Amino acid sequence: MPIALQRDIGYPGRLVPFLTTLLFAFFSVVPFNLPGFAVVMPAFTLMAVFHWTVYRPDLLPLSAVFVSGLLLDLLNGTPYVGISALVFLIGRSAVMGQRKLFVNRPFAVVWLGFLALAVVVFLLLWALVSALHASFIDLRPFAFQAVLTVACYPAASYVLARAQRAFLARA
Amino acid sequence: MRISAPVKAAAQRLALPFLVLVSAVMVLFGKTDLVLYDGLRASVADRVAPVLQAVGQPVAAVTSAVQSVSNAVAINRENAQLREENARLLQWQEVARRLETENAELRALTKFEPQNTVHSLSAQVIADSGGAFARNVLINVGSQEGVARGQAALSGEGLVGRISEVGSRTARVLLLTDLNSHIPVELEDNHQHAVLDGDNSEQPRLVYLPTMVEPTVGERIVTVGAGGVFPPGLPVGVVSSVASGVIRVEPYAELSRLEVLRIVDFGLSGVLPQSAVPPPRASSRVSRSAATESLR
Repeated sequence: MPIALQRDIGYPGRLVPFLTTLLFAFFSVVPFNLPGFAVVMPAFTLMAVFHWTVYRPDLLPLSAVFVSGLLLDLLNGTPYVGISALVFLIGRSAVMGQRKLFVNRPFAVVWLGFLALAVVVFLLLWALVSALHASFIDLRPFAFQAVLTVACYPAASYVLARAQRAFLARA
Repeated sequence: MRISAPVKAAAQRLALPFLVLVSAVMVLFGKTDLVLYDGLRASVADRVAPVLQAVGQPVAAVTSAVQSVSNAVAINRENAQLREENARLLQWQEVARRLETENAELRALTKFEPQNTVHSLSAQVIADSGGAFARNVLINVGSQEGVARGQAALSGEGLVGRISEVGSRTARVLLLTDLNSHIPVELEDNHQHAVLDGDNSEQPRLVYLPTMVEPTVGERIVTVGAGGVFPPGLPVGVVSSVASGVIRVEPYAELSRLEVLRIVDFGLSGVLPQSAVPPPRASSRVSRSAATESLR
């Protein structure tokens, strides 16, 4: 196992990655009432999955990623329940393979990694939805959402890093 | 209980393929129109509604602050606009009053029976889909308040969509723009029937229009009674572009900033049977065939 299990933090602290990921899932379906925003709502849950997979994968295991994706699918009312769970799982294992590239690196490198993940995830989503619909659906909403998601990542990363420092500092 | 190391290692190795398989199977199940998910989604929505409202409150506070600042900037221009509009609307009011009296007289003459009474209630939007592949909103009223599948959701400007899923305290509105939304409509001027097909873009497409009909940009689109889904004449939108056979419609309702909706029960059972709960794909097939039938 490449990940050193850090057992020195208390139970509530250990739940922080999972709870923030769930909170981000709720956050991504809350109406913002800004013109055009719902169409390209940033994928907050993906940001949390990426952040914790890079920094504390031991505290956001596959099962937690699966549950978060499933919750997101049930919240946003898509007919394709499980689709976010599927792409998050694939995204997480892709990031796990490249984790060494991101740990203890400048933020720009991490951001670039997130960009790559977002491109892969949204292309995968588009391909899956197109296949399920048996036609090529419009790629633009997916592209817009990917751009906005990558653009918002620094803000989300800041919030998550603060949470990490506050609750998981003794690691 | 201690699990032996090899078993634990094997479980860890198998977790990814297992969970990927489970989610893939779930997605495929959705494709086979299982009613299972409707109930699941509705009960999850019922349970998390308080959480959504709690998370939504600070967000709403921030966006309303942003809006009030931008409103203050635009207030002078808006005032002038409103004065102009008010003058115009006063003229219309006069016309409406005259028509109302005329209508009443004609109804008395022909012993006209008014259509079944309409019940409506207002609902607050507590969540919207946010993804790139679904267009719907969750509202804070459900079967307890008498909301049922197939009822129309309207904003002040026009049709927004229809109820696709009902929990006890929440309901989901499938927006006009969703990939699975197919609504029988007509061109207001020449009464040519067509279907308004969502494709997840902001402007749905008008399909199944007879080939000889060439709609012009700016033409009004209203609902049609075919299939008994909606009462005829609800405002939907205007034709916004006609390019190489693709006709797009700009909805009157501002679908990206819905806050309060009016849910209206027109007493039409329509194409959505009360007992069976057809998922969106099945119901869309019915409304398509209903609309094509009416074209014949």
